[in-house]
Amino acid sequence: MNPVEKWFKSNGWKPQDFQIDCWEHYSKGENLMLHAPTGTGKTYAIWGGILNESFELKKIKEGINVIWITPLRALAVEIQKSTQQLSRDLKTDIKVDLRTGDTPQSIRIKQNQNFPFGLITTPESLHVLLSSRKHKDFFKNLRAVVVDEWHELLGTKRGVQTELAISYLRFLIPKLKTIGISATLGNKELAGEILMGLGNNFKTITSKIKKKINVKSIIPKSMERFPWRGHLGTHLIDEVIKIIRKGKTTLIFTNTRSQCEIWYHKIIHSYPELSGVIAMHHGSIDKKIRLWVENGLREKKLKVVVCTSSLDLGVDFSPVETCIQVGSPKGVGRFIQRAGRSGHQPNNPSTIYFLPTHAIELIESVALQEGIKQQMIEDRLPHINSYDVLLQFLTTLAVGGGFFPDQIFSVIKKTFSFHTINSSKWEWILNFLTKGSQSLEYYDEFKKVNILEDGMMMVLDKGVALRHRLSMGTIVSDAVLKIKYQTGKNLGTIEEWFISKLSRGDVFTFAGKNLELLTLKGMEVIVRKSNVKKAKIPAWIGGRFSFSSNLSDLLKKTFHNKKNYSTHEFKALKSIFKQQNRESKIPNSDELLIERFKTSEGFHTLFYLFEGYAVNEAISSLLAYRISLLKPITFTISVNDYGFELLSDQEFDRNIFLENNLLTKEYLLDDLSKSVNISEMSRRKFREIAVISGLVFQGYPRKPIKTKHLQSGSQLFYDVFKEHEPDNLLYLQAINETFDHAIESPRIQRSFEKIEHLRIVWKDCKYPTPFSFPLITDRIRSKLSSESVEDRIRKMYLQLEMSVK
Amino acid sequence: MKEINIFNNHFYLHKTGAIFWKEKDTLLLADIHLGKVEHFRKSGIPVPRKVQGVFYEKISRLKNSLNFSRVIFLGDLFHSSLNNEWFLFENWVKKSSLKIILIKGNHDIIPKYKFKQIGIESYGDLKIEKFFFTHHPKKIDNFFVFSGHIHPGVKLIGKGRQLMKLPCFIYNKEQIILPSFGGFTGMHFPKIKNSDKVFVITKREIIEVKKN
Repeated sequence: MNPVEKWFKSNGWKPQDFQIDCWEHYSKGENLMLHAPTGTGKTYAIWGGILNESFELKKIKEGINVIWITPLRALAVEIQKSTQQLSRDLKTDIKVDLRTGDTPQSIRIKQNQNFPFGLITTPESLHVLLSSRKHKDFFKNLRAVVVDEWHELLGTKRGVQTELAISYLRFLIPKLKTIGISATLGNKELAGEILMGLGNNFKTITSKIKKKINVKSIIPKSMERFPWRGHLGTHLIDEVIKIIRKGKTTLIFTNTRSQCEIWYHKIIHSYPELSGVIAMHHGSIDKKIRLWVENGLREKKLKVVVCTSSLDLGVDFSPVETCIQVGSPKGVGRFIQRAGRSGHQPNNPSTIYFLPTHAIELIESVALQEGIKQQMIEDRLPHINSYDVLLQFLTTLAVGGGFFPDQIFSVIKKTFSFHTINSSKWEWILNFLTKGSQSLEYYDEFKKVNILEDGMMMVLDKGVALRHRLSMGTIVSDAVLKIKYQTGKNLGTIEEWFISKLSRGDVFTFAGKNLELLTLKGMEVIVRKSNVKKAKIPAWIGGRFSFSSNLSDLLKKTFHNKKNYSTHEFKALKSIFKQQNRESKIPNSDELLIERFKTSEGFHTLFYLFEGYAVNEAISSLLAYRISLLKPITFTISVNDYGFELLSDQEFDRNIFLENNLLTKEYLLDDLSKSVNISEMSRRKFREIAVISGLVFQGYPRKPIKTKHLQSGSQLFYDVFKEHEPDNLLYLQAINETFDHAIESPRIQRSFEKIEHLRIVWKDCKYPTPFSFPLITDRIRSKLSSESVEDRIRKMYLQLEMSVK
Repeated sequence: MKEINIFNNHFYLHKTGAIFWKEKDTLLLADIHLGKVEHFRKSGIPVPRKVQGVFYEKISRLKNSLNFSRVIFLGDLFHSSLNNEWFLFENWVKKSSLKIILIKGNHDIIPKYKFKQIGIESYGDLKIEKFFFTHHPKKIDNFFVFSGHIHPGVKLIGKGRQLMKLPCFIYNKEQIILPSFGGFTGMHFPKIKNSDKVFVITKREIIEVKKN
């Protein structure tokens, strides 16, 4: 019996099968991939194995022995506490420390001189360590690297960052063990392969624990005033309060930070008696306040916390009994994850309420319940060929003491993300770093990565190194400013563009408080509390989630399955369905419904495909492109998970549509890529790429350095690449990433095979229909045009400046 | 080109962002930011070098169609401190046989004597007859003012929720603000007054904007 098992026994506990498996296989020196739901003892399974091993060693070598990577800083704190506690309980003197973006400089310096046995960190902070010239020394006794909540990282660029770091650490320490921990995923096997890299064996262990989840929809008493569109859901506030009163502790999950602010504000406003036991938690709120909220939850001091995905993961809040999901969770996996925040003890069921923010979302609730029943957890699809992340990583190595290209090429080839990279692309990347272009030109002063005599590539310029260290990381946001009281107390961060629209004396809501803007000092916003009731609510720029393909399939089935019409949700929708039938039609499963109506804005043409945002977006762009070939026309396009709208100032005839076979799957991919070029949808994607690859330097709060003459927008880069360097890999990456990376050609082709066989039902409507409402009121739009710029200008007017609402 | 008449002088607004002053055979240009590409590259940011050539190409094309013998730069001719761009510029100055005047902008930190050495006079601002040339937009009584600095642009809206952003000239009774003539410069969107006329520029045309 191993020491950890003994310790379990001495406490009267029985280890679970997957824990025993983990200990056993770890001791054999195998790489592991563990799949288990949160709150089931994953930390014991893995850290236990590591401790067992440390008992076997004659002497524990100095320096970092284990790196533990987590996606969230809040989670890192939690893991540090529990691994340190277990080490102490087993009477070892093993030390575990944190190293994240929150670790102060003074502590980092201390750590660098005497590293602990275990280091809990994030992908970004690990890369910052790699940018240290002494990093090879830091890692010389590394034995294992653990990646926690891998399902959260996989499918993001931070996942690519993790892949690169692990492949590089393996290159430094060939015997390194890699351990992944993940919640249940659709593509389990692939998840392991991606983490481990090419050619490395690993053992997959799956916990058999199943969590019971109760899902309930919050259905309004009267549907008359239930909105057809919207994303707030605050009209159901009274129902929410009833739920809060019933349970002990409730988490309210919102999808965005501004939604979170608004809900908090509304609750406090309508139910002031809750003040003192309600708090708010989102990623822009200052660390100290976040920690206070997390502790308040643990110590049962708080009854309600309104939060965003910032509380999605791992953190163990045993007192939470109930969760409420406001609006669509966009995926079965995320919904289960959030439900799992409640009833955290292994045998307790989780309870989650679904709060629809508009009528159609009630159908989604039924679909989600079905998805949970069938355990239809989504796949997470990895990013492939993210050259922006690669450029950042290579610069990191060049700052951290340099690299030899041949060695690193083999490191990169072993990652899943770059396993198809060829030597000509590699050459391009190296030229971009060392020459800033693909040909040697006269008079050039380009300076970033230098090539030394022995062929090593290294950053010699101090300014380049400093700017790189300050801008590392793959999470992109607008320039952020700190919000502070006059006394100096930090409240959190806010994006610059929001503040730039305010004037001195304006009042805005942040962290649940109404604050008056006093002054802007460098990168800091100085505020004081205000009693003014009406305040502006900040919006944060953030990606929008798209329905997973599982959920869109579920939704379509739910919608067309007549059996569901007896559910509470569908009964509640009766009056809306009736109206839809009166104005237009509810399509059958073999029909494609197209609606056309005219408003003062122009001609609206709506297509209901129910294919999920990603596929709908691609098809909307393709159709707009094909129509625009038939006549000069300009479209603005809005898309949601249910369908899309093509809005135009001129009418296109229904016969154009019906007679030209616009939905053919011939030339599908060719037309699709042409439509991307014309619509310039890739501009949006390029912003992130420009920041990650170091084209745009954003600066950093509290660390203003002289960069004024180095500032420029990513849009400017997009334009100059498009015009002067169209074969630039970063520009091409933006085009490739335009449609959600989950959209690969096979999925589109499959969708088209289905669409081709649908019977088109074209309805000319007098008024906007219930189904059309969320689409026609959406403000986020892309455009596609085949008219000349000059012809369009002649039809347009100057936009008058408007202030933020 | 759009013709405007001020104090009986003829000015032509060009789609490139330049203004041609017929009576004085003079070309007015604002905010070229020469050397910006080089400055970025020197700091490890790989702006394509081809962008460097944009200014020289644009102005030589203008020379083929307009008959000017003098150029007034309305500030921010150079983006930052001296770099290799200077040699390109010096070369162009020598070959062009133009009389060149520089109105200094906030970015023009290269010392005056360097310009003098290649035959360029520089000023804080300049009066010629009833016309006032300066970098920052301002009002001067009894004078008509030419300036740049803000890289003006406007947002246009149209039916069907169309939106477009374009660089422009902003023109009223007292002054005209020129768009940036540079190849690697951004845009700003100032408030437009009722008394302002706005001319947007595209690759092909200059168009006056309707204000509704």
